[in-house]
Amino acid sequence: MKTTKDTTTAGNGGGDVRLTGISKTYGAFTAVHPLDLTVPEGSFFALLGASGCGKTTTLRMIAGLEEPTSGTVRLGDQDVTALPPYKRPVNTVFQSYALFPHLDIFENVAFGLRRRGIKSVRKQVEEMLDLVQLGEQARKKPHQLSGGQQQRVAVARALINHPRVLLLDEPLGALDLKLRRQMQLELKRIQTEVGITFVHVTHDQEEAMTMADTVAVMNAGRVEQLGSPTDLYENPRTTFVANFLGTSNLIEAEVDSKSGDEIVLKAGGGKLVLPGARTSAPTATGGKVLVGVRPEKISLTHADDAGEIPEGRNRITGRIVDSSFIGVSTQFVVDSPACSDFEVYVQNIDRDTRLVPGTEVVLHWNPAHTFGLDAAQSPLAGTVGSAGVETVEEEVAR
Amino acid sequence: MTTVTEAPPLAPAPERKPPRRRGRWTPYLLLLPGLLWLVVFFALPVIYQASTSVQTGSLEEGYEVTWHFATYWDALSAYWPQFIRSVLYAASATVLCLLLGYPLAYLIAFRAGRWRNLIMILVIAPFFTSFLIRTLAWKTILADGGPVVGALDALHVLDVTNLLGWTAGDRVLATPLAVVCGLTYNFLPFMILPLYTSLERIDPRLHEAANDLYARPSTTFRRVTFPLSMPGVVSGTLLTFIPATGDYINADLLGSTDTRMVGNVIQTQFLRILDYPTAAALSFLLMAAILFMVTFYIRKSGTEDLV
Repeated sequence: MKTTKDTTTAGNGGGDVRLTGISKTYGAFTAVHPLDLTVPEGSFFALLGASGCGKTTTLRMIAGLEEPTSGTVRLGDQDVTALPPYKRPVNTVFQSYALFPHLDIFENVAFGLRRRGIKSVRKQVEEMLDLVQLGEQARKKPHQLSGGQQQRVAVARALINHPRVLLLDEPLGALDLKLRRQMQLELKRIQTEVGITFVHVTHDQEEAMTMADTVAVMNAGRVEQLGSPTDLYENPRTTFVANFLGTSNLIEAEVDSKSGDEIVLKAGGGKLVLPGARTSAPTATGGKVLVGVRPEKISLTHADDAGEIPEGRNRITGRIVDSSFIGVSTQFVVDSPACSDFEVYVQNIDRDTRLVPGTEVVLHWNPAHTFGLDAAQSPLAGTVGSAGVETVEEEVAR
Repeated sequence: MTTVTEAPPLAPAPERKPPRRRGRWTPYLLLLPGLLWLVVFFALPVIYQASTSVQTGSLEEGYEVTWHFATYWDALSAYWPQFIRSVLYAASATVLCLLLGYPLAYLIAFRAGRWRNLIMILVIAPFFTSFLIRTLAWKTILADGGPVVGALDALHVLDVTNLLGWTAGDRVLATPLAVVCGLTYNFLPFMILPLYTSLERIDPRLHEAANDLYARPSTTFRRVTFPLSMPGVVSGTLLTFIPATGDYINADLLGSTDTRMVGNVIQTQFLRILDYPTAAALSFLLMAAILFMVTFYIRKSGTEDLV
């Protein structure tokens, strides 16, 4: 049987997934623009983006459930673009798990093995069920299990086939927050244990950052930026990435002068320093740049104590508009001439009780934490509905 | 939010009891109309027929309950061929309906796209005319020397059916084949609709999951789609088989004296010979036979195990 051969030769071809110029259009709508992407073997790779950004379509093209309009899909050295899903050494964990309701857990997990003509499945299935801690539930039907257990069955059912790549389509979307956290760690543990390449699709930036080695942020059918979670968070190259991954304060500024590696900018009547290495935008004198800084990098000082702020820090004056206490930190919204809703997260170590709405304050941060973005983009990209429910794309995918 | 809203008292206060007590009767009240209907139009007639079946007498002198159970035995020994024939015809029609209906229901459920509603209307459209008219139309369709019979003859299909005893000579009308065709046609929608409903409920992701787990399309159908459509298959076959067994119009209009079904016998006994006890006994025998077969079938198909 061909499928058996494909899977057993997994060792020599490598598990790299290489997408070359892959795209998908539905009539006039382009779900995925021509895209090149390489997922290295054994890595935990996340495709992150909002609803309808094309991430699920990309995943489905790797699985073979969607035929690309152009481009090729390669697994290691093998071009699988023309192979139907049942001949690809790839398995998927579906968003709604798609467990077979008429089969018990054991048979669900054994399904792939049986289809490949393997007769004695008992030992393998039992081992797999133990790996996902469901040994006791083998003879139950899927609907008798909780959401978290069903999710683990879906993972076991895919993993038992030792695919070269495991595709996960929003696998944790249906779980509540606490269970989702637990499953994130669980999946990470399983991935480390089996060493299979995981490609994970999610709209949850925290999930992507917790689990993945590499994250590709997708927006409107394109990969906006690709990198490690830290790299994406610290050095976003577009406003979409800056806003979609966490929160960024973006200030429109004008380039005033350059001195060595430092760029001095004018914003809201003040001066800000931006390290030249931390901007991808053109920085001709007089040109516009979007200056960004993460809310947790900023310190907040009462205007009366402004003199205590050390020299050399970027500073902006403003007035507190809103504050919310959330335990580990307090989140402030500050109105300043440079930016009307500046977000600042202050850790609750020594709380300054004077910092209530209406107070005049000085925001200041280490210039090294400043990043620059091309001002031609909308500073609001990626802010609205970023954590929305996966609906638009699903409709299209059908 | 800093304010804590007061939680509503969870323990049932004593003054809450009266409204609950009043509500206790609501389900029974809602049940009442249907229950009354069943009592008047089902339970009472059944009891009446049961008593008729054990009466003796004549039309002139009147009938009297004499617990004459021999009527059952007499009816069965006189009309057992019609019983067997009814079951065979109904079973053939059911199988034909399944073979014709399943692909159509599958098409409507998974492939029809925007044509889905149109095809559904076409499936239901025959109901807009009367059962009788539709069956009479088949009389024309299968008429001797007509295009259908001519084509079947030219294709030597009739030679095969003659050999099997389904048709006789160059006729289709007044043969078992005509009756089974009529039954199949008339009950096809009752097969398609439940099949469609259960197929349509199947999550298309299950097909994808099966495909993803190395099942080629034919295996996916055998291992996933068909098992999941079993509730539809069972209810479709029941909705076809049960009324087809008792049907007499198709055998009456499209058949001959050699294709009489038990329904025809009951009709004749009741309306022409006016032998009410025999007719009633036959009705009960038919009911018992169907109940027995259906129970056996449901047990066998194990549908209660399906979701």
